[in-house]
Amino acid sequence: MAQAVIAQPAVARLRGSNARSRRIVDRIATAALWGASSLVVLLLLLFIGFEFYRGASSISWQFLTGSPTAGTAGGGIGPLIFNSFYVLILTLAFTVPISVCAGMYLQEYSAGGRFKAIVQFSAESLATVPSIVMGLFGLLVFVSALHWHFTALGGALTLTLLNLPAMMRVTQEALAGVPGTYREASMACGATKWQTVLKVILPSAIGPLTTGVVLVSGRIFGETAALIYTAGASVSYGRSAYDVNPFHTAETLAVGLYQVHREALVPDVDRIANGSALVLLVMVLVFNVVARVVGRALTLRFTGKAR
Amino acid sequence: MIQSQPAAAPALADKMKIENLDIFYGTFQAMKRANLSVPDRHVMALIGPSGCGKSTFLRALNRMHDLTPGARVEGKVTLDGVDIYAPSIDPVTVRHRIGMVFQRPNPFPKSIFENVVYGAKIHGEKNPKRLAEIAEKSLRAAALWDEVKDRLSRSALDLSGGQQQRLCIARVLAVEPEVILMDEPASALDPIATSKIEDLIGELKRDYTVIIVTHSMQQAARISDFTSFFLLGELIEVGTTSDIFTRPRDKRTEDYITGRYG
Amino acid sequence: MVGVRASKAHRDEGIALVVLMSCSALFVIAIALILGFLAFNGTRLFWGDHYSPLKFLFGTDWDGFGGHYGAATFIAGSLVATGMAIAIGGPLGVAIGVFFSELAPKRVATAFKPAIEVLVGIPSVVYGWLGLTLLVPAIATVFHLPDGDGLLAAGIVLSIMILPTVISLSEDALRVVPNSLREGSAALGATRWETITKVLLPSASSGIAVAVILGVARAIGETLAVQLVLGNAAILPTSLLKPAAALTSEIVMDMGDAPDGSGFKHALFAMAFLLLLISMGLILLIRLALRRRT
Repeated sequence: MAQAVIAQPAVARLRGSNARSRRIVDRIATAALWGASSLVVLLLLLFIGFEFYRGASSISWQFLTGSPTAGTAGGGIGPLIFNSFYVLILTLAFTVPISVCAGMYLQEYSAGGRFKAIVQFSAESLATVPSIVMGLFGLLVFVSALHWHFTALGGALTLTLLNLPAMMRVTQEALAGVPGTYREASMACGATKWQTVLKVILPSAIGPLTTGVVLVSGRIFGETAALIYTAGASVSYGRSAYDVNPFHTAETLAVGLYQVHREALVPDVDRIANGSALVLLVMVLVFNVVARVVGRALTLRFTGKAR
Repeated sequence: MIQSQPAAAPALADKMKIENLDIFYGTFQAMKRANLSVPDRHVMALIGPSGCGKSTFLRALNRMHDLTPGARVEGKVTLDGVDIYAPSIDPVTVRHRIGMVFQRPNPFPKSIFENVVYGAKIHGEKNPKRLAEIAEKSLRAAALWDEVKDRLSRSALDLSGGQQQRLCIARVLAVEPEVILMDEPASALDPIATSKIEDLIGELKRDYTVIIVTHSMQQAARISDFTSFFLLGELIEVGTTSDIFTRPRDKRTEDYITGRYG
Repeated sequence: MVGVRASKAHRDEGIALVVLMSCSALFVIAIALILGFLAFNGTRLFWGDHYSPLKFLFGTDWDGFGGHYGAATFIAGSLVATGMAIAIGGPLGVAIGVFFSELAPKRVATAFKPAIEVLVGIPSVVYGWLGLTLLVPAIATVFHLPDGDGLLAAGIVLSIMILPTVISLSEDALRVVPNSLREGSAALGATRWETITKVLLPSASSGIAVAVILGVARAIGETLAVQLVLGNAAILPTSLLKPAAALTSEIVMDMGDAPDGSGFKHALFAMAFLLLLISMGLILLIRLALRRRT
């Protein structure tokens, strides 16, 4: 710290002889992080591109609407797509009300305490149950104990159990995003808690809530392991392919993709599998885009601003 | 503004010199054409009402704005005559030579010892004996040694707010900077802890150049040799602390000193 | 009038509370039922068929129809595949989490993030199909093998599948580290990389631990992607390039064939129960990691 030192140009006085090597390490690490992230995104784009390239030739009106065949080539996936949507709607019919109510209770009503802690712990536990294990639970309860056999309803209820925690989380986060001043304002007008929640808080949270529902829908649409032994793995030949009876077997598209490869009953397995994979992938992309667009539009409409 | 340099200044060597400094956040100009010379081994206080840009100004002096997306600094800031914003200068080296103490104590969630030697370790000191010496020397200089010498391996987060802030000062001293920037270092502390920090600053100027932002005029009067007054993103006036408080040249400074702004 | 309206509102309030609490209670009932049903059916092999739990856990002799239910092969397969997934996907996921939290300019983040979110949504059966038709042949070519399916393929597919979980949770964990620590480190002359490795990652360690544990949970329970690329041979894995089997893949393969009430079926339920116990154990581990933080 001598006075003489100050006279020297600062550049020559760069202290720490390791400054240069540290800068190089920093540069290399930065480049590596950029590289890793770009690589993963690139890989994903390659996958999707490849899937499109490979599956595109399978896609035709006949393929998308036709029924599966047994033993001969040329089958379609129409009933499977239908079943996927059918099971999805059934599942949402259970999942959304239950999860939104539970989420509202935890976020708006419960002030903490033991019950909240137990519900939260149950939700966390439920969220980590592997889907195949959930499938076996569905098999034990809906298929065997209740003697429903393989049914769309049994599959939907199993998927409900699987997706309740995610949907509840979405609800909690959506409600948490509503400013506290809204609650105070409504209560100050003499509204009860329930009126406040129903008329003020829920509408304000509708954007993120819808985004959440659509994203969870994407998961339900592609779920496979939990459905094989609950909704079944066949399109019950002989009855109407587009069957809305919830007590009938309902092979979904994702299960179909698994099954067609496993059973290999038809000569054109690859064609059907590639086409099915492409349709599933496109649906995932559609769900993602819809979630964004609709969520943003609804938020804009109900709150007047994009969040 | 250069002409408003304190009369006493010419006798002193300038450690840092700021010329025509503009700072922008996006399109908002937070600092306009600031000029300031900081003499070596003295305490320079930056005062002004909140939102006047004094913290913004301070953070330009060790290139902290580099970390803020959208922030842009124009003009010249020199340390010993070398422009720290020159393309050939590594901001990391700048911050090594110009340390900073923040408004709220920000100890790392590590032990007291690990906090103090963090900088030294980064800059290549590996010898455990040397590190122990550095820790003791820095903690003594920050007037914290006696309070923590028996519990160096305990978490720094267990210390009181005042102790944490002195630990943060010790952490800066351990990397042996030449200039120490302080951004309202006592604003989150109680009066006793504050007076300890103020005493410490008095000690520090023997070896370091200290530039301190404070919202308290009394504090500026107690601890600083020079004071500069900021208002609405402009540096209004610089002078010796006694001049600024007793004979301000600018009307706006006088209004502030006499309590006409919040 | 006001009085009437007020009492209606009051009644609604009561009904709403009952409905909301019942829905919340359903979560508790659901997990209790799942645990109950699986515990009952999953231990039947031991108290019903008198098969030794030790032989089940450590035996490698598996013949469902022949009365041999040693599941060690599948346990090992699950553990090795999961371990590989974590070994690859863990560091990579944390690295990308760091990238999003500390490095990525806003424009890059808004371009990359949706891609990562799409990765979450891709059905596991599609991952499996891609693995089977792209990765497995690639491994066969690289290592000059007749078939490429096995633990290596499963590990790679799983590591990609757990990436989104690890990335987003470690990013969240890093984002809650106060900015003052970044500034404090930078003001001491640390480079960004030094700040990341010496201050930010240690500060976020419990959150990152949770990210990795949830990755483990996802990997060990994954079924179809694994089943499609693992080759499904009930042999103790001696090489990453040989076909193997995992708990999940074996359950999904055999469940349809095992006769009701047989020891075979009970053994499969025992494997499912084991998976459930592992998942529950991971939840407890997460609680432990989070408690350490506070």
